[in-house]
Amino acid sequence: MPTAENKKRTLKERARALAREPKGEAPAGEEIEVLEFQLAYERYGIESSYVREVYPLKELTPVPCVAPFVLGIINVRGQIVSVIDLKKFFDLPEKGLTDLNKVVIIHNHAMEFGILADAILGMRRIALRNVQPSLPTLTGIREQYLRGVTPERVVLLDAGKLLTDESIVVREEVES
Amino acid sequence: MAKKDDDFLKELLATFKAEAEEHLKAITSGLLEIEKTPAAERQTQIVEAVFREAHSLKGAARAVNMTEIEAVCQSLEGIFAALKQEAIAPSPELCDLLHPAVDALGQLLSSGGGPSAASEESQLKHLIQRLEEASRGLVPRDEEPATGGRSLQIAQDEHPTPALRPPMADTIRIPTAKLGPLLLQAEELLTSKLAAVQRAAELGQVNAALAAWKRESARIKGRISGGRVRRSEVETLRELVERNERAAASVEAKLASMKKLADLDQRTLGRLVDDLLAEMKRLSMFPFSSILEIFPRFVRDLSREQGKEVELSIQGGEIEIDRRILEEVKDPLIHLVRNCIDHGIEKPEERRRKGKPSRGRVGITVSQKDGNKVEALIADDGAGIDVAKVRSAASRLGTVSQEEAEKLSDREALALIFQSGVSTSPIITDLSGRGLGLAIVREKAEKLSGTVSMESQPDAGTAFRLVLPVTLATFRGILVRVNEHFFILPLASVERTLKVKRDSIRTAENRETIQLNGHVVPLARLGDALELPRKRATGDSADAAPALVLGLAEKRIAFMVDEILNEQDVLVKSLGKQLSRVRNIAGATVLGSGRVVPVVNVPDLMKSAVRLSAATVREAAAPGEKEPAEKKSVLVVEDSITARALVKNILEAAGYQVAAAVDGIDGFTQLRGGEFDLVVSDVDMPRMNGFDLTARIRADKKLSAVPVVLVTALESREDRERGIDVGANAYIVKSSFDQSNLLEVIRRLV
Repeated sequence: MPTAENKKRTLKERARALAREPKGEAPAGEEIEVLEFQLAYERYGIESSYVREVYPLKELTPVPCVAPFVLGIINVRGQIVSVIDLKKFFDLPEKGLTDLNKVVIIHNHAMEFGILADAILGMRRIALRNVQPSLPTLTGIREQYLRGVTPERVVLLDAGKLLTDESIVVREEVES
Repeated sequence: MAKKDDDFLKELLATFKAEAEEHLKAITSGLLEIEKTPAAERQTQIVEAVFREAHSLKGAARAVNMTEIEAVCQSLEGIFAALKQEAIAPSPELCDLLHPAVDALGQLLSSGGGPSAASEESQLKHLIQRLEEASRGLVPRDEEPATGGRSLQIAQDEHPTPALRPPMADTIRIPTAKLGPLLLQAEELLTSKLAAVQRAAELGQVNAALAAWKRESARIKGRISGGRVRRSEVETLRELVERNERAAASVEAKLASMKKLADLDQRTLGRLVDDLLAEMKRLSMFPFSSILEIFPRFVRDLSREQGKEVELSIQGGEIEIDRRILEEVKDPLIHLVRNCIDHGIEKPEERRRKGKPSRGRVGITVSQKDGNKVEALIADDGAGIDVAKVRSAASRLGTVSQEEAEKLSDREALALIFQSGVSTSPIITDLSGRGLGLAIVREKAEKLSGTVSMESQPDAGTAFRLVLPVTLATFRGILVRVNEHFFILPLASVERTLKVKRDSIRTAENRETIQLNGHVVPLARLGDALELPRKRATGDSADAAPALVLGLAEKRIAFMVDEILNEQDVLVKSLGKQLSRVRNIAGATVLGSGRVVPVVNVPDLMKSAVRLSAATVREAAAPGEKEPAEKKSVLVVEDSITARALVKNILEAAGYQVAAAVDGIDGFTQLRGGEFDLVVSDVDMPRMNGFDLTARIRADKKLSAVPVVLVTALESREDRERGIDVGANAYIVKSSFDQSNLLEVIRRLV
């Protein structure tokens, strides 16, 4: 029979053990969870922590006087969200005809917009050590927006960079 | 745990800050009143009030451990205590010491409580020392306020009794952060109200369609009974028709009752939404005085600095207006008042020379105008504005030419002062005179759907009239169509709508214009101003087009559209974080049907139209491009809206007349109802796919010869063969799609 004192000590030890931060990396290395989607016959991944939701594209209202990469605005349960075409933003060649009918809404504390996608392929955990830094020439996407390419040829986009990129924000007035 | 504490502390500090700001405002206004040396009795009341404010602030500061604020309050309290006991008398010198002390408190408050640098810390020490000297110098030593005895007494008094608080029992303090979302939610109900209207209208349409069906079926019945057809067939047909009628009657009865209920729902919901919204808006209404409080102090400091004597009078501070408008209008008001003192009020000696009292007057008068408008009149009795100077400043800047400037009436010339860059001030001070201020005031006013105007008489004074809406949230808008795009124009800017006859358009000074009530009004196309591509030869050939005359300040431009649909309540939403500011577009709204429609920014649009006018006329003067003799018409059947729009654009650009359908059934219906030379269809679609559609077309007598191009994601040989089996003329795989091969295929087929 353990004494009250013993019990207390054991419990304290356990609590300390549980409170300890796990040391080092798990053998599998650091993993990230990504949302994988298809756009113009390529597979892209975007870190799920930046994804607010995926919304079906039912109606799209074009907005005049904006850059061509801004396709328009949609109504997400009463909130207006702008939708951009990554192909145009990245200056990728127009390839084929695509069925853009999903919007991946990405956000951080200060920015939010939707990215058009052909289809959502699902969520996937990706070990970062398997991600190879890719040459921009391989994907056609400027290096700054790229985290790399997985062995399965999924192009990992850097959503953090996209969201903080000033060139994606439209801020224009009419000069008098 | 630590995070929770942090959050709690943050919240506590925020509460303290809000409370402290109120105390500071009260102390400042008290001081200003003391300065005016009112009657002894009133003086005692004010000193008492200010003393309590300082005391409460001290207690609050101690509670959140802001020792510096507490220390300054302590010495302030000492002075007020001395004043209270009439141990010292109020004097201008004393006030000059007290105001900076209050300012220092404000700074400490905004910097988060503590002095950030050593130099500031020493300044603070110096300030406290001076305050204590002020009370000590005139107060007997044994009554020195900063001794332990007094502090002790105060410590017992930590929680002031309710009686000491201002009478605010019927108000509660709600953080705007909580009120804001609530208001937004209430406003959101407007969408439901609009949707209810839409539903009721749709039910009405179904009803009408049903009635038409019934009539048709009765007509057929009549023909059958009178015709020479074999008896047995007639019997069968009659039975069918009768069954048809019974079904129609029962559906109709049901629909009619549903329509009644929907109407009722719509009215109930409409009233509830309007009432709730009105109440919510009242919640966010604040008296004007909440932003006027700063002005006595502001005017005092500014006029002293410039060696002028100014008396400020404020009227109508109790009038309430949406807090969001108040916040926006604060800076413009400051600017206008500053303008009065800087440019308007003369130095005392000059005023005496002009035979005016040496003390100038600046008045802020707020008054309720008709309906939803409030007017703020900012007037001075100073030098007035020299119209000649405005004319020369404007022509010097090239805003108007010399001759134009001479031609303008005095009133029109004065309006030039709101143009960017026009200033009559010969020198540029750090206050005003750069000529930007009034342009900004006008822009702010217009952004709030308000106006600003000015009247001035030399040597009699200047008055700025700022007219503002009382509430901001919803406004009425006019829904218009240009090509297939819809836009909302704010009703407040629309002066009138009219039909513009093509042959009434004149070109004057390189601009298209129309005559309106004897005035020449410039004419523009809304689509051009919004940079939409012009459709070839559609609508333009009609001999009259609807137009709206938009007015802004003194300017007036007529905009042609394809259609004016209706007028309705509009809830303007932002375009999202990524579209921070879009040229010509102020926001978007959601219609009852769920459609998202951009709301036009009128000030931008007017500028765009002016920029455009020269260019468009040049273009219009050139003879039109070659029009295809006869347009081939193509039906695009595709369920993905982006692919549909893309194919449609490609075909239209190539000169085809294009209609679109969302799936096979829709496509087939349109084909039966219209004349088409070719069909481009997707394969994988809901309801009826492309293979089935093709088969139906081939089986239909009227349509069997229409060429069909299938565009598909299915690449397999089987699919291709199936496409050929059902009778498609061409099969394009999406992954290898490009516009040249589509156009090439189509050219070969039609």
